[in-house]
Amino acid sequence: MFASVRHLQPRPTLDPKLLAQVRPIAAASSRVLPVVPALQSLFGPRGLQRGSTVRITAQRGSGGSTLALTVLSAPSAAGHWCGVVGMADPGVAAMVGLGVDLRRVVFVPAPGAAWPSAVGELIDGADIVLVRCERPVTHPVARNLVAKARDRQVTLVIVTSTPEQWPLPSDVELSISDARWSGADGGYGHFVHRRAVVSASGRRGAVREHVAALWLPSSDGDVAVAE
Amino acid sequence: MDRLVALCCPDLLDEGVRGEELRTFATLCQALGELCPWVEPIRLGIAVFPVRGPSRLLGGDAAVLAAAADAVSRIEPALALQIGVAPGLFAAQLAARQGVIVEQEGLLEFLSPWPISVLARPELASVLPRLGLRTLGQFAQLHHREVFGRFGADAAICLQVAQGKVGELSGLRDPSIGRRLRSLNPTNAPLPSQATFLGGVGLADERVTAAARRLQAQLGASSVMVGYGHGGRSPIDQARLVPFGSRPVVSDNTAPWPGQLPSPSPMTVFSDARAVELRGQDQRPITVDLAGLLSGAPATCALNGSMQRAVNNWAGPWPLVEQWWQAPRQRARLQLLLEPATAVLVVFEDGAWWLEAVYD
Repeated sequence: MFASVRHLQPRPTLDPKLLAQVRPIAAASSRVLPVVPALQSLFGPRGLQRGSTVRITAQRGSGGSTLALTVLSAPSAAGHWCGVVGMADPGVAAMVGLGVDLRRVVFVPAPGAAWPSAVGELIDGADIVLVRCERPVTHPVARNLVAKARDRQVTLVIVTSTPEQWPLPSDVELSISDARWSGADGGYGHFVHRRAVVSASGRRGAVREHVAALWLPSSDGDVAVAE
Repeated sequence: MDRLVALCCPDLLDEGVRGEELRTFATLCQALGELCPWVEPIRLGIAVFPVRGPSRLLGGDAAVLAAAADAVSRIEPALALQIGVAPGLFAAQLAARQGVIVEQEGLLEFLSPWPISVLARPELASVLPRLGLRTLGQFAQLHHREVFGRFGADAAICLQVAQGKVGELSGLRDPSIGRRLRSLNPTNAPLPSQATFLGGVGLADERVTAAARRLQAQLGASSVMVGYGHGGRSPIDQARLVPFGSRPVVSDNTAPWPGQLPSPSPMTVFSDARAVELRGQDQRPITVDLAGLLSGAPATCALNGSMQRAVNNWAGPWPLVEQWWQAPRQRARLQLLLEPATAVLVVFEDGAWWLEAVYD
């Protein structure tokens, strides 16, 4: 009985010129880093968020480095600075094949025990930082780096060979399960491509469960969706 | 050993209560940075930089010293300054005390008259003069083995310093100086979040340069690498990693990956030699004969005699003909697929196999 008639009136519309002024200058897309087409299905509609953590779990030699540098390729090509810590002997030709713009990537190949401070410095400088963990990372170190990355809106890509090496859950978890090379045959041929099954999951619904078969890399040296 | 310009400001060596010395020293280092990008603070009041580049630019070592002294006097006209050039950090500091320029050839002659005490090793300074060795020149006559056996490893390094073989001595540098200077540096303050609008790129470049420089100060100049002369998908043979802030040495045979294998290329290319053992089903070592053929089918592959893995498949070998104008290097490459799914590249040379790359 106290229902107001005001509810029934149409809401006043804002002047389009005023709307254009109050709209934020930085579009929502600037909170997202670009992703190469082959990985888009893994990252889902939210894409590669700034300030998030991506963990790649793969046995040594089964494509973890390739997948990690593929994540870096589109941002580096778009002009974002990338840092790579702990990848001791990176293959330049392979990175070029993946489309990584090497002029935008800063490598700290062998920081030794100083790796957390190397990551910390690069979080201050770059937009996306890749860390290859050789041995288990302690809880406080991991928490500090994740907090600093979130604070600076820097995406952290962590490459581990077992999930236990990185103690924190991450926003996007990628794992390589079934990797097979084809092309070599009893002395004939050469490695042509590797088919790998990559599964994506994540916390807080950041990524829905998704499995993709990828050429990691394809015969052209880049990463593509298989079939 | 690089020849270094050493600057020493005696007034700044001891820190006062107000911390004014640290601030003056920081501005001084910054001013010198315009002369040479590689200014290294050693301790409060002492900084060095390599003389080679500025000397070529300004036309001689004396001109560099004049320019450096000029840069300092513009900031602090009344500041006392000692400056000199010599190979290696130790000799450079001594050269600064005397204000002289020491060439590479004149290093021993310059070092020899200094007393043992300049090494800042109390034990050596008390024992050696009693043995009749009063100067670095006399000390340098001793044998490395004897000094090592009597005084230990540190004294052996002192000996090498006295002999002009080594330029650095532990204790010369104050490890905290980089951190303390950084704490003053206003560009170190946390910057606002990434600018994505006009001019954002310049800001990002500055940030990453500052971060890389800090890392280089902490871990060494060659610890931070960046790709050179390369973007996107231009030809592979030009790409290489170089220390951040340097220019690559043009040299064709040190390219990390000459791109002689068909695509795709391996993701990890080892810079150091890692021996592997390749054996057949009968445990006999596999070799490559003169015709470029394998002696048998590889069955197992072991790195450093351990971590033996079964070979699932292989491709090759491909003989490599390199540098035919020099002494021929007989090499052959082989791609191996190891259990469970690791793909590696091994190379055969001088009767042994070496792990060259992993397709990670």
